[in-house]
This record gives sequence, structure tokens and C-alpha cells, in this order.
Amino acid sequence: MLRIDPRDALPIWKQIEDGLRRMVGTGGLRPGRPVPSVRDLARELRVNPMTVSKAYQRLAEAGVLVVRRGEGTFVADGPPPLTRAERTRTMREAAARYVSLAVTMGVSRDEAASEVASAWDGTLRSREGER
Amino acid sequence: MSVDAVLSVEGLAVRYGPRTVLDGVSFDVPRGTVFALLGRNGTGKSSLVRCALGQQKPTRGATRLFGEDAWASRPRAMARIGVVPEEPDAPPDMTAAELLAFCAPLYETWDDAAARARLERSAVPLRAPFGTLSKGQKGAVMLALALAAAPELLILDDPTLGLDAVARRALYDELIGDLADRGTTALVTTHDLDGIEPIADRVAVLHGSRLVANEGLDALKARFRRVRCTGMAGPTSWEPFEPIATVEKDWGREAVVTNFTEERRAAFVARAGGSDVEVAALSLEEIFLALVGTAGARS
Repeated sequence: MLRIDPRDALPIWKQIEDGLRRMVGTGGLRPGRPVPSVRDLARELRVNPMTVSKAYQRLAEAGVLVVRRGEGTFVADGPPPLTRAERTRTMREAAARYVSLAVTMGVSRDEAASEVASAWDGTLRSREGER
Repeated sequence: MSVDAVLSVEGLAVRYGPRTVLDGVSFDVPRGTVFALLGRNGTGKSSLVRCALGQQKPTRGATRLFGEDAWASRPRAMARIGVVPEEPDAPPDMTAAELLAFCAPLYETWDDAAARARLERSAVPLRAPFGTLSKGQKGAVMLALALAAAPELLILDDPTLGLDAVARRALYDELIGDLADRGTTALVTTHDLDGIEPIADRVAVLHGSRLVANEGLDALKARFRRVRCTGMAGPTSWEPFEPIATVEKDWGREAVVTNFTEERRAAFVARAGGSDVEVAALSLEEIFLALVGTAGARS
């Protein structure tokens, strides 16, 4: 389920991008399956269609989604074909965001690391469950 | 004005006798944007909309529609604009069907089927006199009439005023559908900030007869934060932040800052010494409250 929060520091297009990426990551959106049209998702979330379009475009560029002309937008069949450098950069950016959130809330380094480990296990479990 | 502005407001001033309602207001509505014009009641939003539509001659300055002076070119421009006025103003004894038939020949781009489909989705009876319809139904008729001509500019003047949640949702659904279909340019004045926030891409705020903000919503949201300092000795100033709406309490103090960046956060935290610094993003409504100076009334 995709949710957006106007009080989140991230822009809405980024929340949609991250949310869809997460759903693909956890297996909630399966490879090869269609995603909602821009129009339908915009109406469901009550956001500007351009915002959804921007998120879809970025996910298509990242190889998470594929656009088939005349058919619609689909989850890519395999994992996104990232270069090693792109993968490192993406991971570092996400890690920096997570760490700055943890630091702001006064969470310890160990606590933050253990949250990552349990999120990792939870994600793997839900992927298994989907299969 | 920028080349691709559908509407340009240039140094607009409006005075009623000794009372200055607008003073030197300038902004552009670029093609393809949803532009939210915000302000408390009585800050000149309606005067501005009337000037933009060429219905009122400004005291000074000008508004341009599609590059032409709105006051001088009103009849030509009106064929390219759809308006949903603050107060639905159709003749009370005409039915929705009669209104469609009356408006259709006035526009080359009229799409009667789309208008009827919209009225059906909003459950508006076609054969009932306009005067007998509910507030939500009247709004739906005005929106259907405005969109039927596929206008290049849609002007919605406080479209959700007095609507219940269901009618409000229906209105946003129709607006979002039209944005998806045509990439419509829209100027919206509203008090429903939570509703318009995920739809608007540019925001202007009128306060004290001037604009106190005029920028992309993402940029606006990126630079506003609530910063709270708790604990013993905090820093004596908000530097390098620019604070507005500052509050002092027993537990410490807080401010809404208008120039937030991660670098400034780091610099401020370094100066904060023993006190804890919390930073929170703000919704458009919270930013609006801080800008128009009523944040202190927050509980």
C-alpha cells in the first residue's frame, strides 16, 4: 500500500518513488506485473499527475519499471541493471538519510544497526511469503 | 514576463478609496502548472482574480492573459479560459441541460459528452433548475461548464468553499483527471491547504497587500522547517537560520526557519552546545500559518 505524508521532508514525487521501490523490493509488486496508470494512481493518492509521472520516469530510468508503448507501465523482470558505482551511490545516499534521521532522534549506533538487520530479515521473510 | 506564462501579473495595485488591497504584486503562472494563490480572507485574492479576468481595472500595474492586457483583450481571452467563481452564478431557473446547450455554441472546443459524463459522475440531475441544486452540485455544474471547453487556463476561485468531504473529493477527482488528460494550467485560490498541497506545483501567499511567498512548492517546503531547542543553555541567536514565528517556553524555544539546509543545520547544532535540537518538516498549512503570522496561536 502506497501512502504519502505531506509532513514528510521528502517531496511527494520522492515518496512515491521510494514507496514503489520498496514495494518492488518486498515483492508486493511482482516482476512483470503492471503498475497503475498515472491517472489512476494520481486520483487514488489525490496528487498532481505530473508528480506520479515524475516518479515513474525516474523508476523507469533506474530500470525498476519498464514502459511498453501502448500497453502501460510494468515492474521490470529482473533486478535493475545498475552499474557498481550507481549501486554504491544509491546505497550511500539512502544510508546517509537513515543515519541523519537516527542521529536527530538520539538513537545509538548499535540500535540503528540492529534496526537495519531486523528490517533486512523482515524484508526477506515477506519476499519468501509472497512466493 | 516569462515567455511561456499563461497569466502574468505585473506590479498590480488595487485601492478602494483610502484602502490599499494589493500593492505591487507580481507573479507569472507558467503553462502547465497548478498555481495556488493563498491568503486570509480580505487579502485581495478575489480582487486579483477579477483583475486577471479583465473584470476590474487595477489602480496601477497590469495583468496579461496569453501575453495581452487582460482589461483590453477580455472578450478574446475569455474563450480560452474556464472559470469556477466563488459564488456559482448561473441563472437559477435554468437546468444543467439548458446551461450546456446555452454554452456549447460559444466555444469551438466544446466537448458535450465529457461535460455530461462529469455531471453524471457528480450525480447532478440534468433537468432540475440550477437554483434548486445543492452547493456541491452547483460547483460540479460550474466545473463541468468550465472544463467542457478544454480551456487553456482554468481559474478556480475558492472551489471547495462550503463543500462537504464527498463533494470536495469529487471536485479534486475531476480536476486531477483533467490535469492527467490535458496538462491543464490552473490558478486556484483556496483555504483548503491540505487538499491543494499534493496538487499544486507553485504557491503564492498574499499578506498585508503584498506577496510574501511565490515559488515552487518543493522549494518552499525544502527551505521551511520548525526548529526546536530544548535543554539548559541554548545558543543566543538562531544564526545561521532566519527565524520567523519564534516562541519562548520554559522548556526552551522554537522557531520556524525560512532558509533551512542540511549545512545550516550542522552549523546550528555545532553552536547549540548542550541543548537538544529537533528539526521537523512542515505541511503547507503550517508554512502558511507561520508566514501570515498566526503561528503563535497554535496550541
